[in-house]
Amino acid sequence: MNALLLAFYILVFPGFLFLILYSFFLEYLDRKIAARMQHRVGPPFVQPFADFIKTLAKEVIDPKGVDRKALDAAPLIAMAAVMTAYLYVPIIGRSPLAFQGDLVVVLYLLTLPTIILFVVGWLSRNIFATMGGVRAVTQMFIYEVPFFLALITPAMMAGSWSISDIVTWQQQNMWFAVLQPIGFIIALIGLQAKLERTPFDIPEAETEIVAGPWTELTGRRLALMHLTIDMAMVTGCALVAAVFLGGPLTPWVITPGWLAVIVGFLLFLAKTLFILLILATIKVATGRIRIDQLNDIGWKYLASAALIQIGIVLMMNYLWVGA
Amino acid sequence: MSFLREVLENLLSKPCTILYPAEKVPIPEAFRGQISISDEKCIGCSKCTLVCPSGCIAMAADSKEIEFKGKKITRKKRPHVKLYSCLRCGLCAQHCPTEAIEMQNILSCSGTDCEVVVK
Amino acid sequence: MPEVHIPIGPQHPALKEPVNFKVVVDGEKIVSLDLDISYNHRGIEKAAEKRDFIKVVPLLARVCGICSHSHTTTFVKGIEEAMKIEIPERAQYIRTIIAELERMHSHLLWLGVAAHEIGFNTLFMWTWRDRETIQDMLEEMTGNRVVYGINEVGGVRRDLTPSQIQAAFNHLLKLEDRFSKYGEMVKSDQNLQIRFRGVGKFTREEALKYGTVGPTARASGVDYDIRRDEPYLAYAEVPWKVITDTHGDVWGRTLVRLGEMHESLKIVRYCLENLPAGPISVPVPKTAPPSEILSRYEAPRGELVHFIRTNNTDKVERLDIRTPTMANWTSVAVSLVNQNIADIPVIVAAIDPCLSCTSRITVLNGRGGKAGVMTWDDLRKRGCGKNNKGRSVS
Repeated sequence: MNALLLAFYILVFPGFLFLILYSFFLEYLDRKIAARMQHRVGPPFVQPFADFIKTLAKEVIDPKGVDRKALDAAPLIAMAAVMTAYLYVPIIGRSPLAFQGDLVVVLYLLTLPTIILFVVGWLSRNIFATMGGVRAVTQMFIYEVPFFLALITPAMMAGSWSISDIVTWQQQNMWFAVLQPIGFIIALIGLQAKLERTPFDIPEAETEIVAGPWTELTGRRLALMHLTIDMAMVTGCALVAAVFLGGPLTPWVITPGWLAVIVGFLLFLAKTLFILLILATIKVATGRIRIDQLNDIGWKYLASAALIQIGIVLMMNYLWVGA
Repeated sequence: MSFLREVLENLLSKPCTILYPAEKVPIPEAFRGQISISDEKCIGCSKCTLVCPSGCIAMAADSKEIEFKGKKITRKKRPHVKLYSCLRCGLCAQHCPTEAIEMQNILSCSGTDCEVVVK
Repeated sequence: MPEVHIPIGPQHPALKEPVNFKVVVDGEKIVSLDLDISYNHRGIEKAAEKRDFIKVVPLLARVCGICSHSHTTTFVKGIEEAMKIEIPERAQYIRTIIAELERMHSHLLWLGVAAHEIGFNTLFMWTWRDRETIQDMLEEMTGNRVVYGINEVGGVRRDLTPSQIQAAFNHLLKLEDRFSKYGEMVKSDQNLQIRFRGVGKFTREEALKYGTVGPTARASGVDYDIRRDEPYLAYAEVPWKVITDTHGDVWGRTLVRLGEMHESLKIVRYCLENLPAGPISVPVPKTAPPSEILSRYEAPRGELVHFIRTNNTDKVERLDIRTPTMANWTSVAVSLVNQNIADIPVIVAAIDPCLSCTSRITVLNGRGGKAGVMTWDDLRKRGCGKNNKGRSVS
């Protein structure tokens, strides 16, 4: 790809500008669907954008003795990590930056927002923020293992460490959601926990520890951190759509290049919206659980299900090698 | 299961919100709303001032001929009510001998002058 | 062992009204707890001594928004007992209808708040939507949605017209359907069960020892309900039953309140169907003969007690209010030790706290041991930091 087209891909479409706009759109849809399920009206279309602009303009309040520069830098680091991870996920076709191992890079970069939340909670010198940060990291240890395992099993079956290769494998064979349903369910639950939504919004439990690590974030820090979580939602949904639902590629090859781009983009939209619908339903239909109950459920059920899934994949690989 | 079914039913139906100000909240007949005093009926007995719990009614000098129970009497004073101190409890309307004070079924609404007086 | 002190309150998203828990935690487990109430003290008992029997009723209706009818009924019932007058049957029935409607909407509010405390906002939104139906009924009957003002010494102030009664029956049908749906949802929902079962448990002996009242006590097997044990209003004539449970934890309290909602609906329906004809109030004397009355009432949160002393004037000499939430706070402070921080909002919400009712006392210097008299200036300094001339003092 020549340099100009690559710059356009990274910066405009389907790069950063599209990412920001799509994350606003997904947040609007998420809140609207949740509101309608609760028999309410829900926010208007421009609400997430208006929230972002308003929060950017608000005053930044520093509690006494906090490290101002570190608190300023933290949301930017998290945002940079998520935006970089987004570039490797196939949106309209194979990603032009794909390489062997980009699945691992994406998974690691997506853990950075949670660690940054812990750091922010620690730096805030506020008892509620510290507790929230500690809960965030505890929760991360519990759900990350099954989530990683669930996303690695398709790589084992496709025989490659690159997301774009996994997508190509599904184009030639079958969706992994059909071949590995247990892995699909674990990936959805892990995604809900990564985004810290109900029933896993333990770090941000409003009725228990005020706002957890978000307590002392104000002004532009809050706006950027909130945008980071929205972008993580887009990246996470796109990742699960690519790895389990075949991403933007159809089972047959479409010849005119521009038509393939349009069809791929529409498929991407449809699949990420489907995953968003599932996540919103889970958010509406459940309440928060306690961190020690999450510990029980995570290790007893999720981790063992992930191990069973790996066992099944190893057996399938052995029986149908090269299928 | 019933929970999920209700969630999906709600998703596909109209929300229960009344979209104010396009739609108005229906106010029942018996609602105790804004106080109103009838000039024609008040005989100035001051009973409303005596029973008002928040003390928002003051009697002001005013002279008028009123017909009460077949006789003509001259009233000497008339109540002035501070609208935003009124609790809308309705005790004045209940104890008024001529039914001159009544609680209408409209809302007290909001304003910018906290000393506004209903005469 | 390192001690982490967490202030829950006086301002906290878990609490709807100010109360201060000074919690000492070790990780996620609570080690000890200190309780500080009385942020909402307004001096109502003193203010009631200066108002005659007509003007004091709206004051007492505003002790609490959601137990408003309970406070006024307890008071006028006590004054009627002091004056030795009998109010007409129709007034008793109308008071019962409003009281049970208040119980229904209070328990429905509680269900929503309990769901909100565990982050289950969907159930919160649905129960509060259905609460609007009850408030519409109350608005049609009494003229106001929250503070009803239907009581006066000697009876009730408004009558129920036949069209209001017919509209009420239609509303009750809809509510019955919603209540059974909520009962079904709560009993089958796994999330509510794992958050509520085993949390804040105490046995029957502990419930009696700490003086808990209301659904909190009935969930631990204490079979005590003033409506049955010392009947007032129309409860002796209406067929109804007391709901008790043996679980003793927050789950038990949920079940008791759900059962009470159903019973209240049946009581309202029975009263509306069998409303006796007649006047709605009787004329009363202006003053009450000297007596000391203990008036008790089963508010939605438990046993409400008004102590009234009259002295042949048209005002009370002393009014002392003991609210059910006041009696239940000790059990919260005791049952929170060795629980998780995540359970604090659940256990606090399980007694259905109403802090506007509770703050009847001001704790001064518990440890100083000094006795003396506080002047008006001292009280003002303590309360709002300004002396009598309006100037700030530190």
